[in-house]
Amino acid sequence: MALLEVKNLKVYFPIMGGVIRHKVGEVKAVDDVSFTIEPGETVGLVGESGSGKTTIGRAILRLLEPTDGQIVFDGHDITRMGDGELRPLRKQMQMVFQDPFGSLNPRMTIASIVGEALTIHFPQMDRAARRDRIAELLRRVGLKAEHMNRYPHEFSGGQRQRIGIARALAVEPKFIVCDEPVSALDVSVQAAIINLLQDLQEQYKLTYLFIAHDLAVVEHISDHVLVMTQGKIVEAASADEIYQRPQHAYTQKLIAAVPKAF
Amino acid sequence: MTDTAANSAALAAKPQTLWSTAWRQFRRNRLAMICLGIVAIYVGVFLYAESVYWFARLRDVVPSYKVADFAARNAHPSTAHWFGTDFAGRDNLAQLIQGVRIAFEIAFLTSAILIPLGFLLGALAGYFGRWVDTFIIWLYSVVDSVPSILSIISISYVVGRGMKGIVIGMGLVAWVGLCRLIRGEYLKHKQRAYVAAARALGAGHLTVMLRHIAPNVLHIIIIVFTLAFPRFILTEVILSYLGVGITGEPSWGVMINDAKQRLWLGVWWELGGATAAMFFLVLALNIVGDALRDALDPKLKTAEGSKA
Repeated sequence: MALLEVKNLKVYFPIMGGVIRHKVGEVKAVDDVSFTIEPGETVGLVGESGSGKTTIGRAILRLLEPTDGQIVFDGHDITRMGDGELRPLRKQMQMVFQDPFGSLNPRMTIASIVGEALTIHFPQMDRAARRDRIAELLRRVGLKAEHMNRYPHEFSGGQRQRIGIARALAVEPKFIVCDEPVSALDVSVQAAIINLLQDLQEQYKLTYLFIAHDLAVVEHISDHVLVMTQGKIVEAASADEIYQRPQHAYTQKLIAAVPKAF
Repeated sequence: MTDTAANSAALAAKPQTLWSTAWRQFRRNRLAMICLGIVAIYVGVFLYAESVYWFARLRDVVPSYKVADFAARNAHPSTAHWFGTDFAGRDNLAQLIQGVRIAFEIAFLTSAILIPLGFLLGALAGYFGRWVDTFIIWLYSVVDSVPSILSIISISYVVGRGMKGIVIGMGLVAWVGLCRLIRGEYLKHKQRAYVAAARALGAGHLTVMLRHIAPNVLHIIIIVFTLAFPRFILTEVILSYLGVGITGEPSWGVMINDAKQRLWLGVWWELGGATAAMFFLVLALNIVGDALRDALDPKLKTAEGSKA
């Protein structure tokens, strides 16, 4: 059974205008998109800026309200679930964000950022156990346990992204939406983070939806690739196939845009 | 994992909160540090005045600053009376000190109304948006559209004149500035990815609003408090001068109002003393407030926002 099934998903944003702020139109950020993700695989989602990829990621985690369609996660229809109903499922799906600076609360220590998931989902854990777990998570993503009392602004972009990954891992999820996790990082650091994500996938049997605008990165990590433009998926195939025999004109354009070594 | 190893060496020995960074920047501002010292002296005087007031009140005696001595009416400043005496022979310095008490009491009590009100309404409006926002904007626009002195006077006529009227009146009027600023900050912060991350972890709206975003806007409250403080003092002076303020206690406004009648007799020390006491406190608080704003939120430097 598929871990995630997205059926005819639509996310429209209203355009407000006029004197009394009424709806004068809508932006079709995601327009009738369907796909499935099997357990343990990585699905890459590529497209240019504004194509709706981040919106899909956020709608799946219900950070945005879908306008229409259906999202089925692990057999549960989560499309219209309320906060309370959704909470136990939040434990199984997480997100790693694009911006390593905005995604960590500047006024919270690393321990409280990573530990928040534990207080929400494992309330029976005592302080000592929580500290041990945070230390373990930090070590797992390549940081040191003694970093936990520090604040985000003391870390580099790559290190912050590791903290974000540790936060997502804290709840022991099955599924992680990686929303352009490396696009804000230096090239040298990008490889390290991607390797870390792959190691973690192997170790914890994670399933990824990997969002990127860079086809080269996606091809490296994904089993399947979805190509998106203007709110619609225009091509879906295995990673090799898409690279070797791109069907859609837009995909061909994306591949042509990947810088090649001479 | 080269980035981890290379950068962990660059971390400072001790964890640095944003507060400690701000304090270090504030300390570099020599003038602001001097003014902070002046404010500290005023706080000391305030505590002393409070003890004099309560000492007399609990023993049910007339406090020394109210004891009239008609033999020494309108006396010039001297070693016995540094700031001279008033028309009833009361020591001006003792009254000025009580004026510090009144000023601080008004500022603290008004803030106790203004800060929760402005913060909560601003947070709700900015975080939830939609009709909540529309309603709160409507509410503060209505409050703001009436000249504040007029609404303070009318509120004080309803709840009763004196300290209570001033405090409730100013509290119910002055929250608008804070509310606007907090609303704007919440609008900005709710778009940040850390809020989405907290929601994705299953944190409720109230948790996100109070535990995640609130610490990020706390500095606004501190800045608004320091900059609004002198305005409360000035408003009290104006209201007392207009005769709708404090009665029976020597506030600076009452002193200035009394003094104006005897200025033509050459009694300048009454007016001069009250004005100077007010001047130094207001100036020091304004400079400290500006320095705090620079240290805590460099982006706010150009914002006109701090209207209270």
